[in-house]
Amino acid sequence: MNQRENFFAMLEGRKPEFIPNIMEVYKICIFGADRADQPLVGGLDAFGVNWVVTKEGEMPEPNRFMFEDIADWKEYVHFPDVDALGIEEAAKIELADVNRDEVIVNVYSPTGLFERLAAFMGFENALCSLVEDPESCQEFFEAFADYKIACMNRFIDAFQPDVITYFDDLATANGLFMSPAVYRSVIKPSHKRIIEAVTSRGVIFNQHTCGKCEKIIEDYVEMGAKMWSSAQVSNDLDGILEKYQGRLIVEGGWDSSGPASYNDATVEDIIAETVRCAKQYGPKGNFIFLPTLLNENGNAIFVGDPRLAPMIEAWHTVDKL
Amino acid sequence: MSKINEVKELVEAGKSKKIGAAVQEALDAGSQPGDILQAMVDSMSVVGEKFSAGEIFVPEMLIAAKAMSKGVDVLRPLMAGDNSASLGTCIIGTVAGDLHDIGKNLVSMMIESAGFTVVDLGVDVSAEKFVAAIKENENVTLVACSGLLTTTMPALKEAVATIKASGLTGFKVIVGGAPVTPEYAAEIGADGYAADAGSAAVKAKELVM
Repeated sequence: MNQRENFFAMLEGRKPEFIPNIMEVYKICIFGADRADQPLVGGLDAFGVNWVVTKEGEMPEPNRFMFEDIADWKEYVHFPDVDALGIEEAAKIELADVNRDEVIVNVYSPTGLFERLAAFMGFENALCSLVEDPESCQEFFEAFADYKIACMNRFIDAFQPDVITYFDDLATANGLFMSPAVYRSVIKPSHKRIIEAVTSRGVIFNQHTCGKCEKIIEDYVEMGAKMWSSAQVSNDLDGILEKYQGRLIVEGGWDSSGPASYNDATVEDIIAETVRCAKQYGPKGNFIFLPTLLNENGNAIFVGDPRLAPMIEAWHTVDKL
Repeated sequence: MSKINEVKELVEAGKSKKIGAAVQEALDAGSQPGDILQAMVDSMSVVGEKFSAGEIFVPEMLIAAKAMSKGVDVLRPLMAGDNSASLGTCIIGTVAGDLHDIGKNLVSMMIESAGFTVVDLGVDVSAEKFVAAIKENENVTLVACSGLLTTTMPALKEAVATIKASGLTGFKVIVGGAPVTPEYAAEIGADGYAADAGSAAVKAKELVM
C-alpha cells in the first residue's frame, strides 16, 4: 500500500500495512487559512486582529482586544467577504506539485469557534463570557460558524481535500478550559454545524485540540469527527486508541512537554521517544505519529533540524504493528 | 444568613454585579473591613481548592476572582494604610521569549486574591527586568516566573539564577508552566513550584508565612 491506501485502510478500521507519520502521509495546505483565518507571516487578519509570529507559532497580539464585553460583538465583528479572500488562487499555488494518488490532501482551518472569540476579546474575557453571558456567546458562535462553513465550502471546492483539520484549543495540560457542560451548551451546537458541513460533502473531519480534552472526545466522535490531533500524553491515549478503534484515528503521541521536546534534546532522547510512541501506540492500528521536535528557531518540522533524519529513520526501522 | 456569609457565597459564585452591595450591607451591619476581606480571601481559597480538584473550571475561577476584586474596591478606601492583612508584594511575569499570558494571568489573580499586592510585568520579561522590579517595589515577598514552552525553559532557568545571584533577599521564587515539573523547579533553584493557579496561591502563602 502507498501512504494514501494505507491511510484509508486505517480510516475504515482495516489493518494498515504500516503506521504513518504526518511528514509523509499528508500534503498539508495552509494558504487558504492564511487568507481566511490568520496570516502566516503575522499582521492583521481579515477581521482586523493583529497576529504576532513567535518561534513556536502565531498568536493574537497579547492585551490588544477588539472588545471586552461579548454583548458588544456585533458592533465590532465584521465578517469578511469570502468571495474576496482569494482561496481559489491559494489552492492553485499550493496544489501545483501534489500527487493525489499517493498522499492525503489535508487542508488546515485554524482559529475555531473558541479561539476566534479569544482572538477578539482575550482568553480571560472569552472564558468569563461563556458563563456570564452564554446567550451572547451562542449568538456569536452561530454567526462565526456561518463564516467558517462558507470558508470550508470554498476550501472543499478549491482544494478538493481528503481531510480538513479544524483547530480549536479548548484545553490546558490539566483539563478543559471550560466544563464539559458549558462546552456542550454554548459551543457544541455551532461546532456540530461546522463538522456536518464538512462531512456532508464527503470530507474527513480532523479535530485538533491540544491539551487534556479527553472528556469531550466522545462528543467529537458523535458529531462525526474521524480524526483527532494533536493527541497529547496528558490524555489516556492507550484507552482512547482502544475505545475508538475503527472509528477514530489519533494523531499525536509525542510527549511535547517532556525532555524530547527540550531545545537541547539529544538524538538519543528523540529516538527513545520515537520508539516509545511506535511501540506503545502503533500496535493499536489507528495512530499517526506527530512529533514535536523543537530547536532555538522553532518547530523543527518547519525550520529544519539535523535531528529529524535520525528520528525518521528510527520511526521507519522500529516495529510498530 | 449573615451578611458576611452572603459576601462569601457571592464571591464563590462569581456574582460580581451583586458583590458591591453585599459588601456595603455587611459594613452597614457592623462587620469590620478586615473581616470582610478575610472572608473573601477564604472564599477564594475554597475556589482554588475546587479548581485544583477539577470540581470547577477556569471560567468559574475567573468570575470568582472578578467578584472579589469588585468587593475589594468597596473596602479599599476604608483600608487605606492598613497593611496588616497583606502578604506583601508579588512580582510576576512570563519569562523572556515567551508571549503566553493565560496561565500567568490566572496565577496572578489567585495570588492577588490570597492577599498579595501583585505587580504584573507581563510577558517576555527578561531576567534583568525581574531584578529591577524587585528593587523598585516595596516589601517584595514573592517572585513568580511563568513559562509555557519547552523552548523557554532555559529562560526560566536564567531568570531564577539571575534573581538568586542578584544579592537581593526577603522573597521566595516560585515557578510554573506546562513543561515545568517539581524536579525541574528544584534543579533550577526555585523555592517553590505549583501545577495550577489554585495550588499556586496555596504555595505562595506557604512560602511567605
